[in-house]
Amino acid sequence: MSELIEIRNLVKIFPPNVIALNDVSVYFHEGEIHALIGENGAGKSTLMKILYGMQPADSGQILINGKTVQFANPGEAIAARIGMVHQEILLINEYTVWENVVLGMEPVGLFHRIDRDKARQQVRTKIDEFQFNLDPDARVADLSVAARQKVEILKLLFRNVSILILDEPTAVLTPQEIPQLFDELRRLRDDGHTILFISHHLDEVIELSDRITVLRKGQKVATIDTKDVTEKMLAEMMVGREVIFDKIKDGIPPGVAVLDCQNISLRSPITNKMLLQNISFQVHASEIVGIAGVEGNGQLELVEVMMGLRAADQGSLKINGSDLSGSSILERRKFMAFVSQDRSRMGACLTASIKENVIMTHHKLNSAFTKSAGFILDFAHAASFAEQIRKTFDVQLNSIEDEMRSLSGGNQQKVILGRELSLDAPFVLLDQPTRGLDVGSIEYVHHQIIQMSHDNRAILLISADLEELFRITDRILVLHRGEIVADLVTDDTNITEVGYLMLEGADHA
Amino acid sequence: MRNFIINLAGILIAFLLGAIVMLFQHYNPVETYGALFGYSLENMYSFMTVLKNAVPLVLTGLSASVAFASGPVNLGQPGQLLIGALFATIGGLYVDLPAPLMIPFLILLSMLGGAIWSGLAGLMKQFFNMDEYITTLMLNMIADLLTFWAISFPLFEKKANHPQTPRIFRSGWMPKIGDFNTSVIVMLLAFAVVWFIFYRTVSGYEWRISGKNSLFARLGGVQIEKNYMRVMLLTGALAGLSGGLIIMAGPHRFIKGLGANYAWDGIMVSMVANNAIVGTLLYGIFFSILQTGSLGMELVTQVPSELVTVLQAVIVLVVVASRGYFDMILKQILTRRKMKERTS
Amino acid sequence: MNVIIGLINGMISSATPLLLSALGGSLTFYAGIFNIAMEGMMLSGAFFAVLGSYFLHSWVAGIICGILGALLMALIFILFSIVLKVDEFVTGVGLNMFSLGLTTYLLRQIFSVKGAFTNPGIVSVPRIHLPFLESIPFLGKIISGQNLIVWLALIATIVCNFVVFRTQFGLRLRAAGYNRTCLDTSGVSSNRIQAISLIICAVLCGLAGSFLSLGYVTLFSENMSAGRGWISLAAVILVSGKPLGIALVSLIFGLADGLGLYLQASLPSQFTAMLPYVATLIALFFYSMKSINTKVEI
Repeated sequence: MSELIEIRNLVKIFPPNVIALNDVSVYFHEGEIHALIGENGAGKSTLMKILYGMQPADSGQILINGKTVQFANPGEAIAARIGMVHQEILLINEYTVWENVVLGMEPVGLFHRIDRDKARQQVRTKIDEFQFNLDPDARVADLSVAARQKVEILKLLFRNVSILILDEPTAVLTPQEIPQLFDELRRLRDDGHTILFISHHLDEVIELSDRITVLRKGQKVATIDTKDVTEKMLAEMMVGREVIFDKIKDGIPPGVAVLDCQNISLRSPITNKMLLQNISFQVHASEIVGIAGVEGNGQLELVEVMMGLRAADQGSLKINGSDLSGSSILERRKFMAFVSQDRSRMGACLTASIKENVIMTHHKLNSAFTKSAGFILDFAHAASFAEQIRKTFDVQLNSIEDEMRSLSGGNQQKVILGRELSLDAPFVLLDQPTRGLDVGSIEYVHHQIIQMSHDNRAILLISADLEELFRITDRILVLHRGEIVADLVTDDTNITEVGYLMLEGADHA
Repeated sequence: MRNFIINLAGILIAFLLGAIVMLFQHYNPVETYGALFGYSLENMYSFMTVLKNAVPLVLTGLSASVAFASGPVNLGQPGQLLIGALFATIGGLYVDLPAPLMIPFLILLSMLGGAIWSGLAGLMKQFFNMDEYITTLMLNMIADLLTFWAISFPLFEKKANHPQTPRIFRSGWMPKIGDFNTSVIVMLLAFAVVWFIFYRTVSGYEWRISGKNSLFARLGGVQIEKNYMRVMLLTGALAGLSGGLIIMAGPHRFIKGLGANYAWDGIMVSMVANNAIVGTLLYGIFFSILQTGSLGMELVTQVPSELVTVLQAVIVLVVVASRGYFDMILKQILTRRKMKERTS
Repeated sequence: MNVIIGLINGMISSATPLLLSALGGSLTFYAGIFNIAMEGMMLSGAFFAVLGSYFLHSWVAGIICGILGALLMALIFILFSIVLKVDEFVTGVGLNMFSLGLTTYLLRQIFSVKGAFTNPGIVSVPRIHLPFLESIPFLGKIISGQNLIVWLALIATIVCNFVVFRTQFGLRLRAAGYNRTCLDTSGVSSNRIQAISLIICAVLCGLAGSFLSLGYVTLFSENMSAGRGWISLAAVILVSGKPLGIALVSLIFGLADGLGLYLQASLPSQFTAMLPYVATLIALFFYSMKSINTKVEI
């Protein structure tokens, strides 16, 4: 095997003070599957984006077949036969499969009219060549996530790409869909393609790759042959210390029912499809209930209905006996704390100050935050409250007057948790609260959640991360196509069973 | 400080571009700019005129700034101004009170007029989900024609050559102290009230956060719809007030084409000030200096006063562009500094 | 009968500038640009068309100059919005003001008049008479005698519809609006596609402006676009950009305008002049009520 790509001393800085890549050098051989692993923020994606021409490097070189290259945009990278499949799938949902695949290299006839028959034929040939099992005329919006991923790969293969970069391709797949992807990737490798594969799932990396490069905090730790390592060794290289992911939820007996959802249903006004179907469940005091499911199976809609952003077609929602089904968001907030997966849109206002972020909702519910009959804000009280959260939740910040976006993701999440937990609500709704956080922050958040359960609160945790659910929940509900298909005691089930239910629903289990 | 430099740099670039245009047309830029600023700043009288002319600019600017920073895209200042002016005119023609009552009465009436016109757009949004940036624009056109009709027929001053109303009662004229028109005091008061509401009250806090991230505010328990309506009413009242003050301070009657000059000026002021309340005041006065001075420029150098309209547009574009550009340069400097730190 | 023919002809001439500029707006709409600069482009087009026609004694030169005038605006839009990344709305407002200031300034500089410039030396765009068709009862009086630009607008509608939905450029154009990162990573620069859409938009707005000052009437007056750019923006939004829908909406607005002229006998002209704006509000009402029922929060 020869050295296909050589990366020399790459440096990338994100002002004001993040060094995303610090003098990284690495080789990729032709015809190998090479895994890049590291924690969030280790620089894996940045490295690949620079290689793909999406971001410029601040210094360093990239050589392909011994020649220095510098791609100004992905188009140039593709011309050099390098293609990348992103974490968030980059397709046009409104277009069909063939339209997406040929975009940018459409076969045309007179007046630049697209030769549809020819395009369709070309795409079909590629599909057959790689045995992808796709319908060229299907609209991308109607496809599953796994199928969309295939379309992206197909799109690159259509451009005769020989080096394929995949950024966490398994993150959006169910456990059952992963082996198929791996088979396809192996087949591509055996066909002579080179595959660069970003992941933080160690088992996957060991199963699939030929060699592994470990990154930590922007620096390369090592490049090693897969056959020489174990999961434990990799984990230590990644984190720089030993990690244990054991179950930490203690079995304190649950108290009275706090949250009571009955028969919540929601129909899409556009497609008329049922988005939520007869959702009924309870969460008790001191209990942590998890909701497992592949993304897009009704989690978002459930959150919207529970928070009052959207009215359900039927069903009721009660907390401590109060019926909140028709209540305003403000009324609900007296009973509910809410941590969203989407910090930038739902959880915080990134361009407002930290102080202004922490007083949200409190300014409505707690009269200590206002003066003159609720007309004027008490900024002195707001400041002392913000300082208190900073201390209690150990937030790393310069000044509470700084904009929220100046904080790291983990610190933003601490501020949000601080705000929501200070509300003293009996019920806490957590929607993927650890998404995008590094290991240390995840650890911190998990312990906060356990702490909440000790405070007698009822907690609902929506998560796509099964390990997380198994670590801290008492019960797991599985959401599949808007229906709860299983209600399992965490100690009596296992990851495989839940994974299967997530994918197939109850009928096939 | 940083903000000041960016704005100054942007303005200087815009003036430089203006100078290049003048050179092409064989005008002397130094002389022209000299005449422009000289006319508006050479003595107390001219500066008082600048302040008086700044009143509608600042008030419509505040209206746009508060609206944009809070979320609603209220583009209806021109229409709200006209309706406000019409209300004040009607009040001033048919009601005669002693001045201490008459002036507040007409001021409130003009604010009511503006608020009704913006409230109309607000209701269309609230009940029918019609986007305010189109409805306010259409209401501008309708207000223009409606007031044109009002001054051409029911309120028409007999024997006049152009559509216009008779003068309002004397008690409704804004008093002058020497050359100082007291409408400026009303403007400053309005500015202070708006600043306080925006930065100190609970409503202002909710508006600012909603303007930046409305979903977050909503989830936090902020009643977006209620706040939306309040913002529309307040910003309409501000624009209406500016219309009323034009009538009460200046011609004391509604003349055709009254609001034409201020059509988009308020929105331009708020844009160049980045929707900041104090910045809106300063830019309002600055644009007034340019507009007031343009007449002097035309008298002295024969450069048509319309050049100032072009100059204002260029200032807006260049200042906003340099704001983004400056951020980019700052980032590059920081990157380079970090690179050095890393290697040392 | 003559009343109806007059009404239809009035409708067609009112609809033409709206249709042309809305078609331009539809291309930028598909490209994902919030383009409110049609007003300024049209105004500039109207001025430069008169300029070209007057000094070069030819309506062809007039139309070419009108298009060049609108293109100038498009280039400034591209410079600020695409190259310097200024907010599209700010760019649009700035540009509209710039166009208003520039045309008024030049009107005084070049023609030394305030308000409006009219002169027998301005050559207007000819009407197309079709002698064979003229004799057809009713229809003949509509088909024959329309201004050349009316026919150009009709052709532009068909071409736009073809380009957007059938051609390579159309696929890329819509891709730029749906997901520009996707287009970029497909090896096509979305900036380039957006710039091209703005340039075509300017050509169409230039034609619209030329029609205003060399077809509809033969003169240039200050701010003569009079909000037509805004109405065409509303038209684009109402039909989500579809060229055939735009044609229909433009005709409806044109009808409202034409109707206004006929109602002048019984209503003050100010009220009849409100009709297009009221029609826009009514159309927006139906559009919004339709979308309210299928509205998804967030």
